[in-house]
Amino acid sequence: MNQEQLKQIENAIVGLLKNEVGPIIKTKAHEKSKYVNKSNAVDLVTETDKQIEVLIKEKLGALYPDFKFIGEESYQPGVTKISDEPTFIVDPIDGTTNFIHDFPFSCCSIGLSINQEAVVGAVYNPHLGQLFHGSKGNGAFLNDTKIVIAERPLKLQQSVIGFEGGAERQGSNFEVKMSTLKNLLDAQKGFAHGFRSLGSAAMNMCYTALGTYDAYWEGGCYAWDVCAGWCILKETGGMVVGGNVNEWEIPLDRRCYFAIRGGSSEDEQKKFVQEFWNQVPAELKY
Amino acid sequence: MTVELLEIENYLCALATKKVGPIIKTKSGTQRDYELKTGSRKVDIVTEIDKQVEKLIWESLKKDFPTYKFVGEESYVKGVTRISDDPTFIVDPIDGTTNFVHDFPFSCTSMGLTINKVPVVGVIYNPHLDLLVSASKGNGVRINGSEFDHKSKIADMGPLTLSKSVVALQPGSAREGDNFKIKMKTYENLLSADRGFVHGFRNLGSSAMTLAYIAMGYLDSYWDGGCYSWDVTAGWCILKETGGRIVGANKGEWHIEVDNRTYLAVRGSTDSTGEDQKRYIEEFWSNVEGELSYT
Repeated sequence: MNQEQLKQIENAIVGLLKNEVGPIIKTKAHEKSKYVNKSNAVDLVTETDKQIEVLIKEKLGALYPDFKFIGEESYQPGVTKISDEPTFIVDPIDGTTNFIHDFPFSCCSIGLSINQEAVVGAVYNPHLGQLFHGSKGNGAFLNDTKIVIAERPLKLQQSVIGFEGGAERQGSNFEVKMSTLKNLLDAQKGFAHGFRSLGSAAMNMCYTALGTYDAYWEGGCYAWDVCAGWCILKETGGMVVGGNVNEWEIPLDRRCYFAIRGGSSEDEQKKFVQEFWNQVPAELKY
Repeated sequence: MTVELLEIENYLCALATKKVGPIIKTKSGTQRDYELKTGSRKVDIVTEIDKQVEKLIWESLKKDFPTYKFVGEESYVKGVTRISDDPTFIVDPIDGTTNFVHDFPFSCTSMGLTINKVPVVGVIYNPHLDLLVSASKGNGVRINGSEFDHKSKIADMGPLTLSKSVVALQPGSAREGDNFKIKMKTYENLLSADRGFVHGFRNLGSSAMTLAYIAMGYLDSYWDGGCYSWDVTAGWCILKETGGRIVGANKGEWHIEVDNRTYLAVRGSTDSTGEDQKRYIEEFWSNVEGELSYT
């Protein structure tokens, strides 16, 4: 698919998010939301998640009948796989806990992968009116403004990192996350400027693309949480590697990610990655 | 007095939106050359703009409220600056300085007034989100100038329970020693499936914005140690006006002053007896490992 075709798909997704999905997320978040527990008492899903996924599938299916579709709500563990074919990868509401609690960082994330690479992405947070979008070779935008990251040094000690507690709250992954957080902050170790938690992987990817975060480290999320943001981030000169040591090349569904902003050379980014990995004491397993 | 407080609130709102906000907005992310407040702490940052904005606020207040005292982050002198019973403006020109340096859109200005050491006016303005939250004692809360109906928001939020809550946590700039260890252990306890098992935590990197978000019903509570009166005074007044409560971060600190340095802020609830909040606070404290101490 050429650049122009990708741009057309990007525009179609942007229109869908702005005109149809956004208004639902915005109004429903202000109603008293009923939720059910998914895997445990803190992994939550609502009726609206399902409703929006059905809507997106229908609309995109009408426009692109040959494309595959993977969505958070229709995903079947062990069955759903990302193939080389054009595939929409969709999280109807990313940041469901935010959505339930009305914390203004829930959003909708729609990506397109071809040959298992994220080539179109759009993320819309209707609460803040922030729509991030991009496609391969066409750059990335926040609303109508092209994102350009100012060149500046990238150093772990001077960085602000996106970090989430996630829904898994026991066992070795939880322990690895807590130790990594400690190492990252510790005056004797990473001593980073700080971490921030917004409770949405897609928003974290976009804030890294925008350069407000220097990096974002995550384990446990899925392809639909990162696919759109991955494309947007790449278009601003960013990089995505694995959350575990030495995973320089990872597939979209690796479930464990480390995203680094642009605005610095690849050498500097790689040095930063290495320095960050030194703070991760053991392997996250999914 | 109530009417006067509202006038002061309006005055501070105008100062925040017209004079201070535009500076914060345009200078955010441009101050990559910052100073470190203390030689040892490479993460405790102050910029030229912090000082410039404090001067602007102080000069304006001095002219229009010549008899009122003033406490500001940048002019604070450790061991010397004290909060008295006199009317005192307590101001953080830019709260969330790290956010400001990194252009993370949660830096804001925070201006409060205490009388008899009680916060009676609070104004918080975030120019990136164009969000103005203001209150004065007995007058309720306004968001961008419109009355905020906190009662229906709280009714919508359901019961206040620790395991169903979203908690704000900030590690601050002290990154070694007992306080750091206590914070990390407490975070872990709050998240752990065997302990607090909260819905989640959020970190916005600004105490003032966090308190404003609790008052607006976006977060359930906020636990912190190490911050100062100027970080919390404005938010304290705003939160109180929505039925929220602020106690100390350490077990048993039921009644604290604005300069306590450790805080646990909890949102309002539908239970008018305050039992809900009391239970929540006690349950929260049971996850605090050790005692935070600041001298």
